[in-house]
Amino acid sequence: MGAITECELRFSPSSSTDTGAFKLLELPADICKLIESSDTANPPRFTIIGATDEDAVLCTADKTYTVRSVVLSNSVLVVTSNPIEENVEGDDEPIQEVFIRDQLKEVIELVPSVPRLHKLDSLLRGREYDEGHEYEYMETNSDDDVSEKRQKFTYEDARSTIQASDAELDKGLRDRRILILDGELRPIARSHLTTILELILTNLVSLSLPHTAAPIATLVSALEHEHDIRSAVSRQVFSWFGRVDENRGTWDMDVDAVIREVGLGILRAYRNDPAHDKAFLAQWRKAVGDTFEDKVALPLLSGNYLTSIDSLSEPPKTLLTYFPSSELPVEPGARFAELFLARPRWKIEEIAPFLADISVDAKERDKLLLKHARTVTDPEGIWYAARAKYNG
Amino acid sequence: MLIDINVNLPGPSSPKRRPLPPQIVQFGTEELVLIELQGALEVDGNKDGQLVGKLRVDPNTKKPTIMIGHHLLEGKLVNLAKPLAVLHKHGSPPGTDDTAMEVEVEDGSPRPAAHAKSWDIVAVVKKKMVFAKRPLPVVGHSTGKGSSAVPLSRIGSKAG
Repeated sequence: MGAITECELRFSPSSSTDTGAFKLLELPADICKLIESSDTANPPRFTIIGATDEDAVLCTADKTYTVRSVVLSNSVLVVTSNPIEENVEGDDEPIQEVFIRDQLKEVIELVPSVPRLHKLDSLLRGREYDEGHEYEYMETNSDDDVSEKRQKFTYEDARSTIQASDAELDKGLRDRRILILDGELRPIARSHLTTILELILTNLVSLSLPHTAAPIATLVSALEHEHDIRSAVSRQVFSWFGRVDENRGTWDMDVDAVIREVGLGILRAYRNDPAHDKAFLAQWRKAVGDTFEDKVALPLLSGNYLTSIDSLSEPPKTLLTYFPSSELPVEPGARFAELFLARPRWKIEEIAPFLADISVDAKERDKLLLKHARTVTDPEGIWYAARAKYNG
Repeated sequence: MLIDINVNLPGPSSPKRRPLPPQIVQFGTEELVLIELQGALEVDGNKDGQLVGKLRVDPNTKKPTIMIGHHLLEGKLVNLAKPLAVLHKHGSPPGTDDTAMEVEVEDGSPRPAAHAKSWDIVAVVKKKMVFAKRPLPVVGHSTGKGSSAVPLSRIGSKAG
């Protein structure tokens, strides 16, 4: 007798438990590779995250995908061998029955997405860690309202509510300069952070420590004893602004990042009254000190300022206004509206930094531009302007 | 709300599940195959273990057919543009869900409660068996030894 060519197609013997117990998930190439190349001892894990009022996302260890359900016009049967029957060792008897475990009418699609980190900002509002206030915050207060407000928002809370992969969440916390103090998330007050960085720069000089391999213990104790900076705080600041070598106990400072943050600290004052670029750069150089003043450069602050020309002065001066992309709306339409309100037309290199955090790559950014802006070409090149609005 | 998805593909270390017949394996994986039908199978009453029809794969042409009652469906092999993961609700067998919930409540921490469900990726399939044509009525043709059985299922008309 040759191979059996015919078998019986049956409904599952346990259809009540099987119905609804299966789903189909369309795999993007990178996730498929991740699954297939994984070893069985340490398989990859994925998590779907979403509150009832949010569109769910699926997160791998380092990426986020939007989850979409697509209804099929056909139905798909999931067919296996008998789910109840145990596999008997050495059972050579050919199988003559296969079973429909479930009948599906939809497929879940995954679309790469930027991590939805913006919720962190609203969740952590009022939990700032600032100089001098840290102890007040720790005090217990009998007022019920206040104690309720003080319910901790922990790292684990963030993992289960923020729609981002672990790697993206960690990066988001770093980028947003959020401290983890006793498991609780506390955004550091930016002015306090600038102070700490300036203290680090002056201590590097006064203690003549190399910024590529600065002994952390020395810096931490100098900051703690002379300036009341808690070591839990300064240690995290070190990890945000450079590479910490745990074995040697040294810190390799990310010079650009530190200079940038100090520059931002100064720039923040010029939200309403613009600064002259030369005066601003001079102030910035002074703040970082002689050793690092060569590194000061405006491109470090891209996505945080707008330039304009003060044509009244002679010669015309360039003015800088604090305009951080982190404070712009997340929704693309609203963001473009704000951008074109701030300035009617943009060069691509000017507008790009303000779109980086809402698009996964340049291709998606260009798609956004195509949808929300129109191009105007003049002798100076290509400009992006608001789409014409027709009233009526 | 968190839903964990774990990869639980058959491997050398996992308990061996019963494989599908070889002629069907070529349309899916060792253990699982997807069959796409136009319309849906509709059935009244308890369908546990009931016969739907005869699935046949021609050994020469590799063409699959399903005989449901007096209707013959002709199918074909279709390679998927994107692979599909088949997810199976974790701990689906009755009983296991309830006990898992109790343990979480006793724990007292709020986080496991959000972990109510988890799913396993039990297969990654790259092809499927598609029956896209209308069923052909078969008149005066014996469906073989099972022909005396009254067909339980009928092919439902396509919705919409």
